Amino acid sequence: MQNCNRRDVLRMGASLAAGMGLSAWHGDIFAKGLDEIAAGRAKVLWLEGMSCSGCSVSLLNAEDPGPVEVLTELISLVYHPVLSAIQGADAVEVIHKQVEGGDYLLAFEGAIPTTMPGACLMEGKPLAEILPAALRGAKAVVAVGTCASFGGIPAAEGNLTGAVSVRQFMEQQGLPVEGRLVNCPGCPTHPQSLLGTVAYVAAKGYPPVDPTLLTPNMFYAHSVHDECPRFHYWEKRVFAEKFGDEGCLFKLGCLGPLSHTNCPRSQWNSGANWCIRAGAPCTACTSENFARKRDFPFYRKCETYYTASYTEADRQGVS
Amino acid sequence: MTRTVSLSPLNRIEGHLSVHTDTEPIDGGKSCRVSEARCEGEMFRGIEGILTGRDPLDAQQITQRICGVCPISHGTASVRAQEMAYGIAPTHNGRLLQNLIFAANQLHSHILHFYHLAALDFTDVKAILKYSGKDRTLLAFQAWAKNAVESKDVFPAAPFLPQWDGNYAEDVDFNVSLIAHYIEALEIRRTCHEMGAVFGARLPHSTALVPGGCTQTPTLERILAYSSRLKRVFAFIRDVYVPDLLQVAKEFPQYFEIGRGCGNFLCFGVFPMDNAGNKHVRPGVVIDGRWESLDPSKISEEIGRSRYAAGPPSHPFQGRTEPEPNKSGAYSWIKAPRYDGHVMEVGPLARMMANYHDPSDTPLKKELTAFLASQNLTPDKMASVLGRHAARGLESLWMARQAGQWLDELRADEPPAQDFEIPKQASGFGLTEAPRGALGHWITIENYRIKHYQCVVPTTWNCSPRDDKGNPGAVEQALAGITIENPQQPIEIGRVVRSFDPCLACAVH
Repeated sequence: MQNCNRRDVLRMGASLAAGMGLSAWHGDIFAKGLDEIAAGRAKVLWLEGMSCSGCSVSLLNAEDPGPVEVLTELISLVYHPVLSAIQGADAVEVIHKQVEGGDYLLAFEGAIPTTMPGACLMEGKPLAEILPAALRGAKAVVAVGTCASFGGIPAAEGNLTGAVSVRQFMEQQGLPVEGRLVNCPGCPTHPQSLLGTVAYVAAKGYPPVDPTLLTPNMFYAHSVHDECPRFHYWEKRVFAEKFGDEGCLFKLGCLGPLSHTNCPRSQWNSGANWCIRAGAPCTACTSENFARKRDFPFYRKCETYYTASYTEADRQGVS
Repeated sequence: MTRTVSLSPLNRIEGHLSVHTDTEPIDGGKSCRVSEARCEGEMFRGIEGILTGRDPLDAQQITQRICGVCPISHGTASVRAQEMAYGIAPTHNGRLLQNLIFAANQLHSHILHFYHLAALDFTDVKAILKYSGKDRTLLAFQAWAKNAVESKDVFPAAPFLPQWDGNYAEDVDFNVSLIAHYIEALEIRRTCHEMGAVFGARLPHSTALVPGGCTQTPTLERILAYSSRLKRVFAFIRDVYVPDLLQVAKEFPQYFEIGRGCGNFLCFGVFPMDNAGNKHVRPGVVIDGRWESLDPSKISEEIGRSRYAAGPPSHPFQGRTEPEPNKSGAYSWIKAPRYDGHVMEVGPLARMMANYHDPSDTPLKKELTAFLASQNLTPDKMASVLGRHAARGLESLWMARQAGQWLDELRADEPPAQDFEIPKQASGFGLTEAPRGALGHWITIENYRIKHYQCVVPTTWNCSPRDDKGNPGAVEQALAGITIENPQQPIEIGRVVRSFDPCLACAVH
């Protein structure tokens, strides 16, 4: 909370990196990133579109650095719709002033309706009219969560709003994406993946990303299946047949093979638990296909009853 | 002359809400009084339509994403509806685990709401600059704030500053202690989510919550992981949260008179005690001060002033959600649910009042009776800004105590869930209580898939627009008559509306 000195920042950078299971090399980068942020040079403007605020709540679940450090040391959170004390017309003024002044990271949570612009309003105007200026003025844009990264549930089959991801919206608006937009998917996003990405962007600029998904490699390179603590069950072909059983969760619908995320390393809620450990099939909530298709259910209780349009290979992520 | 005073966006809640009020000048035009108000829900995703045609088991996952603050309530309502449709009930452990995950999320939400969303309307953040005590956390916060304020930043010390003037209390210690507890509550709220994750896999958006129970077997290690955290949370509620509520009440006693609302209360009940339908928090309805038992067939939604294709008032089993963004005369994406035609308030206060007026002895009645006696208050004062905050705190205290009982009743290593088959044809509904009030999901299954799904959500009741007869919603009624001292900074609107803890992603979904 005090104005951090260099040593504090290094310490926190190291603990942030350690918490993420990253190497010392990364730790140094995070330290520089945190240094930048602590010195007040990197401001974060947070806006929400068609979202549930779950990613905002997840941000508050951050641990080492915790929510207090995040708010007072790591991020200069110029505006956040859930947390800012300022309200009403004066909140709008804060957003506009920051957008005019430039020099900020835009964190955007949620999808954007395009064919039904009135489905998301800010200041009584469609979000799709207000957002381009905020995207244009930002040094970098972080798409927070699966809705912002890929469209997520608002863009699922059968939606009536034409919901799109930040990337699709930027491309529609002719705004440059390359080297500016980073996707941090997850439903919700994991706080460490988000904070780590923000720190990296502040320190080094654009991180190494997957060329198609724009997800930072440091958090999204490995599949849950590859690092699964139940992998030995898979190898022995011991499968859970009903909820609560021991065994590999594949036959209950687990999408671990399709899910690229840091979960096996970081776990969730300060390490209290995570899906696979709790016997809950992975829903691949970081995937660009999360929840998108009616015929691709999360669980496998019902699928024998209808002609599924996906194959076993789809589930295993093998083509 | 009528003047419109708006709070747009009404932020520091979940989601996209604007409130517009028509006001008449008082005090020679310096201040004004609200004659009528309009709540505008500004975001629509169409989750119910997205569910149509999907596997029924997708529902408790997708509906959790209606709200990132209360996903467990939606997951639970969906699980209840599915259990009815599948003809199953949770196992002994399944019921208790669902209650424990539910309580953990409810506690996170109440603590988040009071300290991080609502209390900033009653706290002079700048008081920290005058702090002269020795608390290290506060001195650090003071140093940070001073440094920020002295910097050349356009918006120093965000997100805490800038803030509006609010006739705050002059007592530096009062303001500083609310700031200290804001900081402490950040950690305690996170601890509540850790508790929920111990049995629910993770939060927000639990993957472990399933029809018939939960996927996490309660081992002794898991039980201890929950109970050690629960002790810290309970101590915080007892020693910090409830005393802070009393302090706020002492500094702002006028808010026991402000924001009364419609005076009707609806509660669906929550926390099953068994599989026979008995609940710790009992369902009930209070209309014009008279208690009656709940009849779910009396629930309907009206859409005359909502942005949906015209239709008659409909029970949720028949309800339609067909967006019409530019519908003439409509001003909100929120529908207008009514109970037997009545405008109803839902939430912690409604749970308190329904249980207080219930003919049987209920745990919440005991909590409220003791509170009213200790504060020398009559029950009618509860229908107010402070009454709603108090109801939330008292309920938290009861819930944290009760969660310890549920832990004791768990049978370690026994099955956490009841297995089931999904029938070809079925329907069901699940009634529960979100942190913000009565929540119901209605599901119809045809050919193993969801044919129809409707959610009637707490903030839909509270922030509803006018109904087909022109009756304003509960929050709209609570705003009528309030005084706004400075129309440039209508902080009073925020105080009244936030006392309902609105969640807009929920209200429209």
